[in-house]
Amino acid sequence: MSDDAPSHTDHVVGALEDFPEGSHRVVEIAGRQVGIFNIGGELHGLPNVCPHQTGPVCEGKIVTGSLRSTKESGWRAEWVHDGEVIVCPWHGLEYHVPTGQCMAFPHIRLRRYDVLVEDGEVVVRIKAPKRRRSPARA
Amino acid sequence: MALITEEPQQAGREPLPELLIVDTDVHVHESPGALEPYCDMPWRVALDNIRDAREWYLDIPAFSPGVSDGSYQAKFPTAHEGARMVWDQDQMRAELDEIHTDLAVLFPDHLLKLPVLTQTDYASALARAYNAWLVDQWTSVEKGLLGTIIACPHDPQDAAREIEKYAKHPEIVGVYLPCAGLDPLWGDRKYDPIWEAAEAADLAVLLHSVTVTHPVFPFNNHGFDTELGRHACSHTFSIMANIVHMITTGVVVRYPKLRIAVTEAGVSWMPFLVNRLDKEYLERRRDVPFLEERPSHYLKQFYVATQPIEEPEDLTDVAKMIDLYDGWDTTMFASDWPHHDFDHPMKVDQIPMTDEQRRNIFGDNALRLLKIDAQGRRLNL
Repeated sequence: MSDDAPSHTDHVVGALEDFPEGSHRVVEIAGRQVGIFNIGGELHGLPNVCPHQTGPVCEGKIVTGSLRSTKESGWRAEWVHDGEVIVCPWHGLEYHVPTGQCMAFPHIRLRRYDVLVEDGEVVVRIKAPKRRRSPARA
Repeated sequence: MALITEEPQQAGREPLPELLIVDTDVHVHESPGALEPYCDMPWRVALDNIRDAREWYLDIPAFSPGVSDGSYQAKFPTAHEGARMVWDQDQMRAELDEIHTDLAVLFPDHLLKLPVLTQTDYASALARAYNAWLVDQWTSVEKGLLGTIIACPHDPQDAAREIEKYAKHPEIVGVYLPCAGLDPLWGDRKYDPIWEAAEAADLAVLLHSVTVTHPVFPFNNHGFDTELGRHACSHTFSIMANIVHMITTGVVVRYPKLRIAVTEAGVSWMPFLVNRLDKEYLERRRDVPFLEERPSHYLKQFYVATQPIEEPEDLTDVAKMIDLYDGWDTTMFASDWPHHDFDHPMKVDQIPMTDEQRRNIFGDNALRLLKIDAQGRRLNL
């Protein structure tokens, strides 16, 4: 990669009306599968690979909410993140779509793709991999 | 839980698609309507009567009664595919190809709960019908689909006759011992005809449990609020209880050629049981005067299917656990496809192991248990 290589590439994946509010579907971009979610009019992009056992996490049929129980709630279950949680169809691991956060394991967070709307088209921005510094020469 | 990488296999190793994978726990889907043509009268009439009954996951009244799987608690929406089923050979072969399975050992879905049925003649008729349906509709060496016939615990003499009937069948490689709701446990003297028949047929016996809420231990799991609690304990405790009974009633010494495997309990209880039984043996040898060695000597000869494989942060822990029961020659990969908690082989492949251990776990140990070659052909016919 040259020094002036772009920091990202943009990929048009369809018209905005193909991604109506409340919908989600998987698109393929340069060999990678990306789940595009429209939650409350805001677009989110997540990789369609569950870090657990590589399940197609974004192919879960519904985007739902989930349960949480904390000391603050008196350990009573609360319904949280309604309409913002994707559940991997393979083993049921839950992820909060807007943040990519796995709800079962705090140390697991899915990477997120920027999803933009430009001239009525949905654009997924793929960041270029970070360059490694060359070792200093003597 | 350990994170995966996109290329989990170690450098220089054959990738999973090229490795021989024998999957020792795969489930076909049987329904009342499917078994009806194979069932003896008058039970065929009863199956026809429920052929259109609404089907829940492993739960059809008068066929596989008794629920668990969250039916005792609030049901929230989810996309977790908790009720995957495989209906025919072609679907099975295609789906097993996806997870790189070459040879699969088939078990039922609903009849995992055969022991809870109360009528002996009905239960044994169902077992016979399933066995006939299995070899007619499912098993195929060419397609790598190998059958286990059900031994009906209600009628051990009839189970022994079934074992004799299929003893030389080229597509039958074992005898499935249902455990869910079983009373008395495998090991009771009433089951001796089954051990005699299996040993004579040179067929392995494979224990398989499933979660259900039922009065007998360890299925009296109503004390748990959650399916997590019921599912975590019932499967594993059932397997432990049954093999403890098989050791402490002397099955392992009375039938020394019997090859025994357990499925769907993971592996982490084995180090515990090895040590616990030996500890008890120190004090209570008189209880088991027929044992010639410590209990662990016999326990370590049991074959253990991996699924649901434990997933600690450091998978070296799993290798240590296998070390602790000397299990590299007896532990076998299983996926439990298509069930909700199936394991993809890539997870087992992340356990640190030598190339030889890897070949053993994924294939060679199962070939030895089942006495088959790498194409699924029986070597003991």
